Amino acid sequence: MEELRVLVPYILRGLSVTLEVTGVALGIGLFFGAILAILRVYGGDILSRILTVYTSILRALPHILLLLVIYFLIARIVNLSPFWAGSLSLGIISSAYQAEIIRGAILAVPRGQMMAARSIGMPRFKAILKVILPQAFRHAIPPWSNEAAIVIKDSSLVYVLGVPEILRQAQYYSAREYQPFLAYVTVAVIYFLLTFTTNRGLDALEKRIRIPGF
Amino acid sequence: MPQTKKEIVKVEDLHKRYGKEEVLRGISMEVDEGEVVILVGPSGTGKSTLLRCINQLTRPDSKKVWVNGIDLTNPKTDIDKARQHIGMVFQDFNLFNHLTALDNVMLGLTQVLNMDKETARQKAMAELDRVGLCNKFMNYPGQLSGGQKQRVAIARSLAMEPIVMLFDEPTSALDPELIGEVLVVMKDLAMAGMTMICVTHEIGFARDVSTRIVFMEHGDIVEQGTPKKMLSNPDLPRTKQFLGKISDLH
Repeated sequence: MEELRVLVPYILRGLSVTLEVTGVALGIGLFFGAILAILRVYGGDILSRILTVYTSILRALPHILLLLVIYFLIARIVNLSPFWAGSLSLGIISSAYQAEIIRGAILAVPRGQMMAARSIGMPRFKAILKVILPQAFRHAIPPWSNEAAIVIKDSSLVYVLGVPEILRQAQYYSAREYQPFLAYVTVAVIYFLLTFTTNRGLDALEKRIRIPGF
Repeated sequence: MPQTKKEIVKVEDLHKRYGKEEVLRGISMEVDEGEVVILVGPSGTGKSTLLRCINQLTRPDSKKVWVNGIDLTNPKTDIDKARQHIGMVFQDFNLFNHLTALDNVMLGLTQVLNMDKETARQKAMAELDRVGLCNKFMNYPGQLSGGQKQRVAIARSLAMEPIVMLFDEPTSALDPELIGEVLVVMKDLAMAGMTMICVTHEIGFARDVSTRIVFMEHGDIVEQGTPKKMLSNPDLPRTKQFLGKISDLH
């Protein structure tokens, strides 16, 4: 029990950093992912090709490598704290995956929906916003919950930039108290709980906003 | 007494090709106010393409389409504004799946015509009532039968107060038992003086309410005339053969 009493403050400090990094990364990823997806579907041939290159490169490289590359790229231009640089990098990486998720979800909306919206005089952008996206986001939830789980786990990678997230804190603890097993098992349990509750929450959301009869 | 009717739709020498295939080969037609024009012809003849070229959901290759005197192929024309008053009903309904029947009808009113919510709601309910569905206003498309879906789709178009309605095979996706309820709504609309262009093979409907039947084949108009003439005594043997065949089916 004494060990736990010492461990808990480390874990809590790390947990809040992990949650922040994950939240920021998922948020940035969703925002840019949605824009990328919309531009890829509706932005015309040339733009679509350029963006395909972007997402292909981001998805082809190891995340930890990208994290370092993006971090040092950003660090050359602006002075960002490791926390923001790390979260932003993870967000950029995630945007490539989320773009594919949302693009697939948009393409799953029948073409006739856009035609019907345009036929009543709705401008294209408004039709995307009011007719296509509300349906696409429903399609996107199951694959998105997969991506959310990946980003939760990837948040541990920011330790290479020196951001003290939960895994890093566990290392601090085990280095000081010589209790690696306790530290890492605790962290494992917490990661499990995080991904599990996130997926459960998204399942519940999916059921809640399911379209009746559809 | 000669009466000059107002011309609602006019296309002149309309061409459309998809790759190598020429779907429309120089169609010219005019539709006056209050006319109910039926487009018939074998599938792949360009009837649906012609309808979509009228409201520019498909961009024609040629430059001569007018609706209510406005040149829709002119790049300066605000096509969204023009489409507000060109109703279109699709074969597969295309109701907005994530919205209730009421919201389907309201969406154009609030988002396109910027009507306030309460006025839009009343207007939408009135349109649903007109197609006999005001008791289904809270149902989602997935909870409606095909015939009900199509009637909601008609209400959605009517709410925008169109000057012309385009029907693209409105009953082709329906069970035989459900076709009637949609045709009743369309008949009422025709009787009320709506200008309509319908792609349909419902010959009974054509006989009862249309003012003109246009027979198309291979992207061109073969023959057109009043339903009486077209159904009993057309000029061309091909017209007689085709219309005879679909009449036998009904």
